[in-house]
Amino acid sequence: MTCLTEENRTRGPDARFRVKDRLLIAMMILPLVCCIALKVCFTPESEGVDISGAMIYLTIQGFPVQDLVITESQINSWAIMVTILGFCLWLTHGLTEKAETKRQLAAEWIVEKCENLVSANMGERYAGYEYLVAAIMGLSALSSLSCLIGLFAPTGDVNVTAGWAILVFALVTYTKMQGGFLNYLKGFTEPIPIFTPMNFISEFSLPVSMAFRHYGNVMSGAVISALIGTALRSLSRMVLGWIPVIGSIPLLQIGLPAILSIYFDVFSGLMQAFIFAMLTMLNVSGSFPQEAWEKRQAKKAIRKQRAAMAKA
Amino acid sequence: MQSLSIISVNIWQILISFANLAILTWIIKKFLFKPVKKVMDARRETIDSAYARADAAEAEAEEHRKNYAAAMAAVNQTTDQMINQAARDAERRGAEIESAARDRAREIREQAEADAQLEKKKAEDEIRREIADVSTQLTEKLLEREIRPEDHRGLIDSFLEEL
Repeated sequence: MTCLTEENRTRGPDARFRVKDRLLIAMMILPLVCCIALKVCFTPESEGVDISGAMIYLTIQGFPVQDLVITESQINSWAIMVTILGFCLWLTHGLTEKAETKRQLAAEWIVEKCENLVSANMGERYAGYEYLVAAIMGLSALSSLSCLIGLFAPTGDVNVTAGWAILVFALVTYTKMQGGFLNYLKGFTEPIPIFTPMNFISEFSLPVSMAFRHYGNVMSGAVISALIGTALRSLSRMVLGWIPVIGSIPLLQIGLPAILSIYFDVFSGLMQAFIFAMLTMLNVSGSFPQEAWEKRQAKKAIRKQRAAMAKA
Repeated sequence: MQSLSIISVNIWQILISFANLAILTWIIKKFLFKPVKKVMDARRETIDSAYARADAAEAEAEEHRKNYAAAMAAVNQTTDQMINQAARDAERRGAEIESAARDRAREIREQAEADAQLEKKKAEDEIRREIADVSTQLTEKLLEREIRPEDHRGLIDSFLEEL
């Protein structure tokens, strides 16, 4: 008995560690599985070409302006967020100073790459943006890749990318206001006041272009994949339909859709994630009004000095 | 099941998506970057302190080495001094012994010379006494006999021969 308990005691933390590990891995996989199950349950049976947006799971009425609709893209986004949270917890589970596990090396690699990317593209001032950049990359890439397991890619919904683009736009505007609110407003009248409407348009074209670039790339890939898949199925039925058993299997669908998927789903998805993150970094760091900010800091310093003098 | 049309804008969905990205940013900051950076900082600190300790140990060793070298130099100096001292002592002792020996030799020679002088004197005295004896005998002989010039001459010659 004592032997057993001792063994248990020595094995205790290790066993608990492994159990927690399994739970975290389950936390990564289960949300996606639930999403698939949900989709399977709700997808109507249809044969023809069906190109539409996200499925609506729930509509809540009574909200101002528009009804709140909970669609596939929201549910999938949340599932992906939980997956990423699980992945973060799994990566940081059992960190040691000596970095004994490959998992820790991977975690440190990710963190260092993000730091380097942000400091190389934005400068040291924007070190706080590495979290946002990492979040954009992770969320966007996983969202685009989620169509590989049969889910609707949340990035194929313009509302999702619009939300992200508006966050980026807010950050850009916040950075521009570092030089003072009046300076920010004055920036619209440059180089001459007549340009003001055009400046407004160019200002608000940033979130629109970012949202539509990402959404359009993913959605167009999905549309092309669907069209070609359907076309191949029809072709298969036409050419091989007369053979008794084999005719019912769309044999021609083997091959080409997979190759297209590698380009549209994997490559394009990852590419767009990287592009969105790069645009975020460049727009935010590029909109910083260096001169106005320096003037403002100088003014602040003078004001502080005067206040101190008055006190004395 | 109803679907959204392929482009449909819904501000609530946009808001949800906005919040999603903000929350995910927080999640990544809190659950990935913070712990990893903490561990990396701790490691950097450990490495820095290890380097500092190594530097301190090296400095200490260097100091020990210097102290040792100084001690060795001091010891060498003392040894040299001792050897020199000993050499000087030996020289002095040697000189002393030599001079003592020379004195003693001179003494012995002087003694010997004095003895020889004494002997010579004694011998001279003896000779003188013998001469006196011989003269006495000669005188006795002369007195016994009439002195003739040829006798005289022969006497003197015989005396001289006898001498």
